[in-house]
Amino acid sequence: MSLVLKAEKIGKWYGNVLGLSDVTIEIGPGITGLLGPNGAGKSTLLKLLTGQLRPSIGRLTVDGRPVWNNTALFRRIGFCPEQDAFYDEVTGDEFLTGLLRLHGYAEAEARRRAGRALEIVELAGGGDRLIRGYSRGMRQRIKIAQAIAHEPEVLILDEPLSGLDPLSKRKIIRLIKDYRSEGRTVVVSSHVLPEIEALTRSIVLIHQGKILAQGDIPYIRELIDAHPHVVAVRSADPRRLGSLLVADRAVQSVSYGPEENLVTFETRQRDRFFDLLPRVVAESGLDLEEITSPDDNLQAVFDYLVGK
Amino acid sequence: MPIAEQGYVHWEGRLDARRRPWRPIARLGIRLAFRRKYFKFVLGMAFLPALIFAAGVYISERIGDFREMLRGADRFLKIDPDFFKAFFASDYLLFWMLIIMVLAGAGLISDDLRHNALQLYFARPLRKKDYLQGKIFTLAFFLLLLTLVPGFLFILLKIIFSGSFAVLAEFPWLPASVAGWSLFAAAFFSLCTLAVSSLSRNRRYASILLIAAYFLSDIFFGIFFGIFRDPHFALLSVKTNLQQVAAAFLGARPLFDVPWAYSAAVLAALAGLAGFVLARRVRGAEVIR
Amino acid sequence: MAEGSIFRVFVFALRLVRRAKKMRVFAVLSLLPVLLAVILRLNAVASPGRGLDGLAVFGNIIVAFGLQFLVLILALFYGTSVVSEEIEGKTLTYLTIRPLPKKAVILGKYAASALVLLVLVLGSTLASFFILNLGRLDYGPAWSFLGKSLAALALGVLGYTAFFTFIGTFLKKSVLFGFFFSFGWENIVQYFPGSTQKLTLMHYLKSILPGVGETSPSVLQFLMFRLDPSPAPLAVAVLLGLTAVFLALACRVFSRKEYLFEE
Repeated sequence: MSLVLKAEKIGKWYGNVLGLSDVTIEIGPGITGLLGPNGAGKSTLLKLLTGQLRPSIGRLTVDGRPVWNNTALFRRIGFCPEQDAFYDEVTGDEFLTGLLRLHGYAEAEARRRAGRALEIVELAGGGDRLIRGYSRGMRQRIKIAQAIAHEPEVLILDEPLSGLDPLSKRKIIRLIKDYRSEGRTVVVSSHVLPEIEALTRSIVLIHQGKILAQGDIPYIRELIDAHPHVVAVRSADPRRLGSLLVADRAVQSVSYGPEENLVTFETRQRDRFFDLLPRVVAESGLDLEEITSPDDNLQAVFDYLVGK
Repeated sequence: MPIAEQGYVHWEGRLDARRRPWRPIARLGIRLAFRRKYFKFVLGMAFLPALIFAAGVYISERIGDFREMLRGADRFLKIDPDFFKAFFASDYLLFWMLIIMVLAGAGLISDDLRHNALQLYFARPLRKKDYLQGKIFTLAFFLLLLTLVPGFLFILLKIIFSGSFAVLAEFPWLPASVAGWSLFAAAFFSLCTLAVSSLSRNRRYASILLIAAYFLSDIFFGIFFGIFRDPHFALLSVKTNLQQVAAAFLGARPLFDVPWAYSAAVLAALAGLAGFVLARRVRGAEVIR
Repeated sequence: MAEGSIFRVFVFALRLVRRAKKMRVFAVLSLLPVLLAVILRLNAVASPGRGLDGLAVFGNIIVAFGLQFLVLILALFYGTSVVSEEIEGKTLTYLTIRPLPKKAVILGKYAASALVLLVLVLGSTLASFFILNLGRLDYGPAWSFLGKSLAALALGVLGYTAFFTFIGTFLKKSVLFGFFFSFGWENIVQYFPGSTQKLTLMHYLKSILPGVGETSPSVLQFLMFRLDPSPAPLAVAVLLGLTAVFLALACRVFSRKEYLFEE
């Protein structure tokens, strides 16, 4: 059975500071990516969904029941918090077994589930080591293990890919994707679009405590493409590079300076432009020192969406 | 684009010989202490004896005006080494110095350990000595504020109120004694506090250890002294040892009939142990097995 | 259901408490009375001329060290740790996301801490009693003294740990507050005249200890200083009542409060 997370006009204040405002959202089975820059309110929303915080206003339910202090519901929810924090002096195995015992599993069953969770996150060999001796990737995986060990119907992961190397990221992405099977609901937060893209097509954009958009990746991509991108290129001959590219329809404008070797392009067809640029450079034999796209990031999209 | 040679590159610049890398650490420590809740209140409480003794210095020059109020207590208002000992070795002042150490010092190293900040410190051109100097200066700043500053203020006030240098003529060693004791106490408290702070990544635990060590030593002295009536058990108490050494520095009568050098040796041994602990515990990287 | 949850948290917390390196330091601290007793016993053997009033020394240790220091320090650390340590370590989430009533977290962790403290304090007290009174174990009042001392220490552990657990649920500076409470309020107000001293837990704890005529004057000297004792049954009832009240308040605050982790 799948659970639906539902927020109706919820708001959350920390004293005078606004955490979330007027958030209405419904999250069903499958993976939903919660995307927003740092401080957007992603963690606040996830903490509300997992009963760590209580909404200041509005109604928040999982499976139609309020979350705050709803003990029974926590059997069906797994949460991987953002903070890199663990109990000192416990091994991975003890950590998982101890937490599973809190769910009410008997010792043997808790051990079996802990072993299984360690296998899933590929930590079976490290279960008897102290967690504080783990690498960052291992710690992130043991955190996920504690969230999935009781096989919850809803899995909520707060920045699970943050600070990981590409290999560890790939492992965790595969793990999350595997978990979504059997109609489970998975919510993942991140501030990096490609990370979310690798996980799901369904995303929620959140910014300054408000939901900006909710939809699938192509829709968000369209928003990004509609937004003119600025690409700055440093080259030994910037004027020649500019002249070679300006005729293409992907290029909306070209400007030079302020430094001597700098040329700046504006494009609304980001993908086409980035196909074109290396080809032109290779064919012309131009020296290219640096390519930067100062607004090719989520913040620029958010600024665009909020009309800045 | 040239590709840089892979491998470790030694920095070949020269460090400024006059640089004082401990200064920013000390400044940060002092600033953070003032930001802590209740710290200003505690510091204010710690200054109460200084205010009272300063008033005492004033009254000592106006005994006639206050005779009615004093009712024979004026003998305590003679500004001599005993007056200074009464200030520096008072239980109240030592207690508040301890509280200042707990508030400003217990987390000085333990917080760095908790947040793995030592690696960040030692990734800079900073030696262990510089790091520890910065931390010691943080604590010494507050301790000297409570001891050295009032001590010199009393001498200055006495000179101003009496209009003469008689106090210095009679006790010419007094300024040196005040400075010597203040520096000794600051060094002892700072080293011990930092050593305790370095023992744990938990500030709360370090705070409790500090409090426990101070009171425990005094309780044991009380128990043994109560049973055997031998003043040498005063050597068990950190507080009593400090009071004995303070009396010696100031040329005043000690409370217990025990050579002050014994007390000084006990305190020096504790400070030495603290230094050893610090040298062992403050490291850039921690190996976890 | 709730009892099961409390027990599960108790088992989980007990493992954490036992594993912590701090535990070893506190165990050593608790064993100091035993060390003291051994030193005094050896001294008595070495100097036969000087008699050792084991019961008087024991009374001194119970009051000066046990009640007024050890119990306070241990309860202060472990009591405030129940919630504060989880917040400082940012591990609270792992407990509050489990299918447990929030009160089970408080009561289970409190029970684990209290059990460890009882073992430490009572074990060390028993050992020091036997060492100090080796030759007088047939002296009846000594056993009554021991029983009342153990009761006072046990109730002290339960009461103070409950109080510090409560303040740890809502005060960020719980250790500083606890320190002023322990070594300021409790150690000063207990000597105030009349009913004022009844505003301290220490008054009730000392009221449980033996009364006038039950032991030698040298023991009483330490125990009864300015004490205007309450009847022992009343003192026990008040201490147990206050323990229950503090725990209920801690559960209430913890269930309602949202905890944020500082960066």
